[in-house]
Amino acid sequence: MADDMSDRPHPFEPPDEELVAFGDGAVPGRPAGVPSSYDRGKSPRWTPEAIAEAHAVAQLGRYQIRGFSTFNTCFPTLDDLVFVPATMTRLPLEGYRESCDTKTVLGDRPGLVERPIELDIPIYIASMSFGALSASAKAALGHGASKVGTMTCTGEGGMLEDEREASKILVYQMTPSRYMLDLDHLRMADGIEIVVGQGAKPGTGGVLLGMKIPERVANMRTLPVGVDQRSTVRHPDFLGADDLKVKIEELREATGYRIPIFVKMGATRPRWDVAIAAKAGADVIVLDGAEGGTGASPELLLDHTGIPTMSAIPAAREALEEAGLADEVKLVAAGGIRSGADAAKCLALGADCVMIGFAALMALGCNSPRYLEDYEALGTSPGRCHHCHTGRCPVGITTQDPELERRMDVAAGAERVARLLTAWTMEISLLAKACGKSSVHNLEKEDLRALSLEASAFTGVPLAGIDRPYSW
Amino acid sequence: MAEVAYVEVGDRPIREVNAAIRAAVAEGRDVVVTNTLSRHNLGIGLPHGARVRFEGSVGYYCGGLNNGAQLEITRDAGWGLGEAMAAGEILVEGYVGMSAGASMRGGLIHIRGDAGPRCGVAMKGGDIIVEGRIGYLSGFMAHAGRIIALGGAGDACADSLWGGEVWVAGPIASLGVDTRVVEPDPSEVEAVEKLLASRGLEDSGRDWRKIVSAQKLWYFDSRDSRAWLMI
Amino acid sequence: MCGIAGRILGSLGTVGADLVAMMEAMVHRGGDSTGFALYGPRREDGYVVRVVGDDRDRLSDDLEAFLDVLRDCGADFLEDPTWDDTDQRHVSVRMVVTPPTVALADWVARADAITGFEIQSIGRSLEIVKDVGTAEEVAAKHGVEAFVGSHGIANARMATESRVSPTASHPFWARPFPDVAIVHNGQLTNYFLLKERLMRKGYRFLTENDSELIAVWISDQMAKGHDLESALEQSLRALDGVFTYLIATADRLGMAKDRWAIKPLAAVEDGPDLAIATEEQAVRKVYPGEVTVRTFDGPDQTSTWAVKQAEVV
Repeated sequence: MADDMSDRPHPFEPPDEELVAFGDGAVPGRPAGVPSSYDRGKSPRWTPEAIAEAHAVAQLGRYQIRGFSTFNTCFPTLDDLVFVPATMTRLPLEGYRESCDTKTVLGDRPGLVERPIELDIPIYIASMSFGALSASAKAALGHGASKVGTMTCTGEGGMLEDEREASKILVYQMTPSRYMLDLDHLRMADGIEIVVGQGAKPGTGGVLLGMKIPERVANMRTLPVGVDQRSTVRHPDFLGADDLKVKIEELREATGYRIPIFVKMGATRPRWDVAIAAKAGADVIVLDGAEGGTGASPELLLDHTGIPTMSAIPAAREALEEAGLADEVKLVAAGGIRSGADAAKCLALGADCVMIGFAALMALGCNSPRYLEDYEALGTSPGRCHHCHTGRCPVGITTQDPELERRMDVAAGAERVARLLTAWTMEISLLAKACGKSSVHNLEKEDLRALSLEASAFTGVPLAGIDRPYSW
Repeated sequence: MAEVAYVEVGDRPIREVNAAIRAAVAEGRDVVVTNTLSRHNLGIGLPHGARVRFEGSVGYYCGGLNNGAQLEITRDAGWGLGEAMAAGEILVEGYVGMSAGASMRGGLIHIRGDAGPRCGVAMKGGDIIVEGRIGYLSGFMAHAGRIIALGGAGDACADSLWGGEVWVAGPIASLGVDTRVVEPDPSEVEAVEKLLASRGLEDSGRDWRKIVSAQKLWYFDSRDSRAWLMI
Repeated sequence: MCGIAGRILGSLGTVGADLVAMMEAMVHRGGDSTGFALYGPRREDGYVVRVVGDDRDRLSDDLEAFLDVLRDCGADFLEDPTWDDTDQRHVSVRMVVTPPTVALADWVARADAITGFEIQSIGRSLEIVKDVGTAEEVAAKHGVEAFVGSHGIANARMATESRVSPTASHPFWARPFPDVAIVHNGQLTNYFLLKERLMRKGYRFLTENDSELIAVWISDQMAKGHDLESALEQSLRALDGVFTYLIATADRLGMAKDRWAIKPLAAVEDGPDLAIATEEQAVRKVYPGEVTVRTFDGPDQTSTWAVKQAEVV
C-alpha cells in the first residue's frame, strides 16, 4: 500500500481542514486531541528528581552527600504488621495496672564477661559520633539515657569526657578508623563495640565534612582541621571474620574480661553475617537496617544499599537459633525505629533490644518548628530537614558551630529524651500486656499478623485472618 | 637491677600467661617469656615501667595497646605488633608481619628485619623504624607519626596518607595514591638521623626520600577525576 | 573464612596426624567443620573413591546402584567397600575400584545421578575425609591420625555464605579430575559468574561453595593445556575477591594469594618436607623448635612445591 492515497477519494467533496481539526484545542498552538499528559511530561524513569540528579553530578563530578536516612519508597513497612492481643484464647494483663518486666541484660556470658550490661528498658541510644553531633547533644543524650536507666554509645571518634560523665552506662565504639583509640578509655567503658558497618551505608566508612571538623574534633581524630573526612571501611589489623576471634580475645585481655564485646553491622546478608559474628565471639550483635540514619553519607548508599530492618531481624534470629547461640549472644535491632510500636514489633520479630538514633535526636529537637529562617536558608523546612551534613543544624544538634550549639539546652534536651524513652517503654509494655506477656521479651512473631503479602513474605509473620505466613 | 621472672607460654591459655606477666610486672620484676610458639595476644596493654622480653617468635597483636612498656621480641612477630600503642618501645629482632604499629599513637617500634604489608596503617603518632624493607601499602591512611625504612619499600608506599611522613632509604617499588615526595629540611634529616643514632643505626650516607600526603583527597571538591577513581 | 594447612613428607608417614595438629591449633578460625585431603601410596591398579551418603539406612541400595553404574562403565570393586560405624544419619564410605573403560568424567556423571550418595573424591592416591565438627572430632571419627601418606591439605571451616553440612566443607575435589583437591581461605565475589560459565561447559558442582569453584577452574585451565604454575598465575586476575588457597595434585602442592594481601600463609620448608598454614602458630605445632618461617604476607603471590615421594604400590 503506497503512502500517497490521494488517488482514493471520498464519494463526496473533500471537507474543510478546519472541520477535520478540532480547532485549536485547549492549548493554543498545539493540535487538539493530544493528551494533556504530554504537557506534564510524566516520564516514569526521567522524573524531575532523576533529571536534577544527573544535572548535579554532571556539574559536581562526584556523588552527592547528605545526612538523615533513605528516601527510597520501595521498602516494606512495619506499619503492615499489627499485634493480635489476647481475646478468647489467652488472657490479657491489665495494661494500666499490672507490671511487665522491661529489664534487659546484654552480654551475659559466664566466664568471658564479668559485668554484663543491665538496662532498665529494652531501648538504648545509638552510637552517634561527637563530630556528627555537638558535645551538648552528646551530653543531653547521656543524661536522658541515665535518667531512665539505659545507655548510650560513643560513636566514631573516641570517648568524650562530657559523655562519660553524663552516661551512667557507656559503650565504647571501635571503628575501622581507630580515631583516638585509647586503652584508658577502653577500660573506662561498660562495653566495647567493634564496627563492621552501619545500616545507612554498609560496606563503606564514616564521613564527616570539613565544616564539622573544628579543632576539638580534629584533635581527637588526629585530622587536619577542616578536612573532609572519609574513613576506611576495613579495620587496619584484622581482615576477616576468621581473624575476629583473635581480635576479640585481645580486647578482652586489654579489659580483663570484665565487659561485653559488641559487633555492629549493617543489614546485608544477616543470615550469614550474624552467624559468623556470633561464632567469632561477639557477646552482642547490633544489626542496623537500611532505614538507619547517619550524619553524612553519599546519597546513593542511603537509597540503594542494605536491606530493611524488618526483614533482617527474623533472618538474624534464625541464624542465632540455628547456630545454637541464642542464649549466649544477644541481638540488638536498629534502623528507622520511630515509635514504641515499632520497637515492640522489632522485639516480637526476634530482637532482644532496640537501639535508636534519629528518634532520640527528634527528642532533642531535630526538625522542630523553630528558627524557620535558618531552615529556609538551607533550602528546607521543619518536617523535611535532612541537612545534618552541612553543620548548619538550625536547632543546634548536628553542628560544631558554638552559636548554633547554644540553641539546644542540655537540661531540657535530656528531659525530653528521658520522656520519650519513658513513653516508648510504656507503649511497648502496654502492647505486651495486651498480648498477655509479663515480660516484653516474651513477645514473639506469633503475636503479630501481617496486613500485606509483602510484609508476611519478608518476615514470616502469619497473614491476618488466614493465620499462616505467605509461602511459595 | 630488677629481679627477673620467667613465664612460659607453651600450651597454656593466653589468659593465664598474660595474668602471670602482669603479676610479675606489678611486683616490679623484669619478665622473660619463653617457649612462645608464635602464639597470639601476648603482652596486651602493659603499663609504663614494664620490661618484657619474648624469647622466640610471637603471633598476632603482641604488645597491643601498649601503654608505656618496653618490649623485646627475639625472633619474628605476626600481625598487628603494638597495635594502638600509646607509649613505650618495642624491639623486634626478626621479621614483622602485616599492620605493624596499626593505629599507634605514640612510642617507638624498631624492627631489625623486614616489615610486611600495611606497616604503620592508620597510625596517629609515634615512630616506626624498619631496618629492612616495608611491605605493600605501608603507611596506608596514616594521620601522623613517622615510618622510617632503611631497606626500601614495596608497592603503593604511603598510599592515602592523611598526614604523617614515610622516610625511605633504598628502592621504592611504587608510590601510593595521593603521595608527594618532598625535599626534607636539613633539620628534619638531622632529627631522623639522631633518632636512628640513638638506636645504634648511625649512617650519614643515606639517600632519603621523604613522602607526605599530596592532600588531593583531603577535600571533596577535587576536580582531579583520577584521584577520585582511586578510592 | 577459615584456617588452611598443607603438609608434605619426604617419605611416607602419618601425614594426617600433622594436619590434625595444625587444624586443632586453628579451631578459632573455624569450628563448623573440618576436612582433610590425604594422599596415600599411589595405586596403579585403580582408584580410591570417597563418598558421603545422606541416609545410612539406604546404604545397601545406594551401594548396589553405584556398583551397577561401575559395571556399566566396565569397572568393579577392587576391595569391599567400608564405611564409618556411627548412629549419625550420614555415612562416609570408602571404595577402591578398577579403572572404568569409559572416560572418567562419564562414569562420574552417571554415578552423580544417584541422589543422596555424593562422591567426595576420586584419585589414585587422594582421599577426602570431611565432616561437621572440630578437627579433634572429625579426626577421631575417621581415623585421620593413623593415615599413612606423602602429602595432604586440610581446612578448618567457618561457614560464610553456604550452610554447615558434611559435604559443604573443604577440601573440595576438582570434579571430575582425579587427585586434585583444594582448600581456600577467603570469599570470592565473582563466584556466580564463573560458576555459570563452567556449568555451561559441562562441569558439575556439588555445592554452593566458592572453594569448589576454584578447584574446578584451575583444573579446567590445566585441561586446556596450562601447567599448574601458569594456572595459579592466571587465577590472580580471573578470581575476584579475597583468597589464599592451597591446591594439591598427585605430586605437587601449589598456592595462590590475592592482590590485596589479605589472607595470610606461613610455611616451614625443611628439605623435602613442608608444613604450611594460615597462622604461624599452627605450623609451630609441627615445628616447635626455632625454625626459619617463610611468610606469604605480600600481594599477588603464587608458589609450588614438589612431592618428592609419590610412591607406586
